[in-house]
Amino acid sequence: MGVAVAATLDYDAELMLRVKEGDGTSFGVLLEKHRASVIHFVYRLVQEQAIAEELAQEVFLRVYRSRSSYEPTAKFKTWLFRIATHLALNWLRDEKHERGQERLDDVSTDLPVRQVSDRRPSVEQELVYAVKLDEVRRAVAALPEKQRAAVLMHKYEEMEYTQIAKVLGCSESAIKSLLFRAYETLRARLAHMETT
Amino acid sequence: MNCPIESRNSEMVVAYAAGQLDPETARALEQHLAGCAACLSMAADQTAVWKALDAWEAPSVSPDFNRRLYRRIDDGAQLTWWERLTRPFRPMPLRQALPLTATAGLLLMAGLLLQHGPLAPAAVPRGEVVRADQVEKTLDDLDLLRQFGTANSAESVHPDAM
Repeated sequence: MGVAVAATLDYDAELMLRVKEGDGTSFGVLLEKHRASVIHFVYRLVQEQAIAEELAQEVFLRVYRSRSSYEPTAKFKTWLFRIATHLALNWLRDEKHERGQERLDDVSTDLPVRQVSDRRPSVEQELVYAVKLDEVRRAVAALPEKQRAAVLMHKYEEMEYTQIAKVLGCSESAIKSLLFRAYETLRARLAHMETT
Repeated sequence: MNCPIESRNSEMVVAYAAGQLDPETARALEQHLAGCAACLSMAADQTAVWKALDAWEAPSVSPDFNRRLYRRIDDGAQLTWWERLTRPFRPMPLRQALPLTATAGLLLMAGLLLQHGPLAPAAVPRGEVVRADQVEKTLDDLDLLRQFGTANSAESVHPDAM
């Protein structure tokens, strides 16, 4: 009966109900499907890869441990990102409390390796990229927590306003307003950047 | 089309910059942009923001992410509620404790040897005096045991004899 209800929601919720019934393989499928997006989302929130992976581990651990009480009342991804957002924002608050903005000033860490298919970028191009990336990271980091989370879900996860609203526990109109203000700030800080 | 900015519908411009509008709405907005400087500027800026955010790639996931996760799941699954409660106070693992215990035992034995000299063999030491009264008592005890055993066997035979 539970599986039938979940099927009307999404396939992931159905998989989670199978996990609830003791199917470890379904948990593996969910992990493979959502692992990267959760880690990347948390990474862009906390801006430290090691911390992001640790928090993502905690996210999936909590998903697994709460399997027995799982009820498919929302999309699985909404539930998953709610846990991820909660853990990441809590970490940011603790971190901010402990160290201030010290870590965000360290822009040299965790720069991703650029995928260049045909030719290697010059030193100058690498520098331009690093400066540009630094500016983007700082602009996003400067946003208030909820605006930051909303932008990341909207931009990189392509979530709809309703889904973001459920993750952040706000109304849809509040999310529209939140995103409007966030993009307004980002336009002021990043619109001058050359589009390459 | 109503001006998205004036009608408080700027998410349409955001969606346009993200390429998320359906073709018909996108065409209508483009017609509006041609005559509205404010919306045109906003669309251009938002497109620049979108491209800037595109440049921010996340690092790839560690190859041992799953292994670490499953290990944590297994660790949690094997623990009872009491073990979870006392986990912070658990002594060191057996693997580390055994060599330390063995070393401590050896040191203790060495200390005893130094204090009392080499341990005596288990055999009766030469020149030991055998006490007569103790031998007599032991023999008396044996006699008592023998008599007790005889009485028991007699009682156990008795029912068959009847």
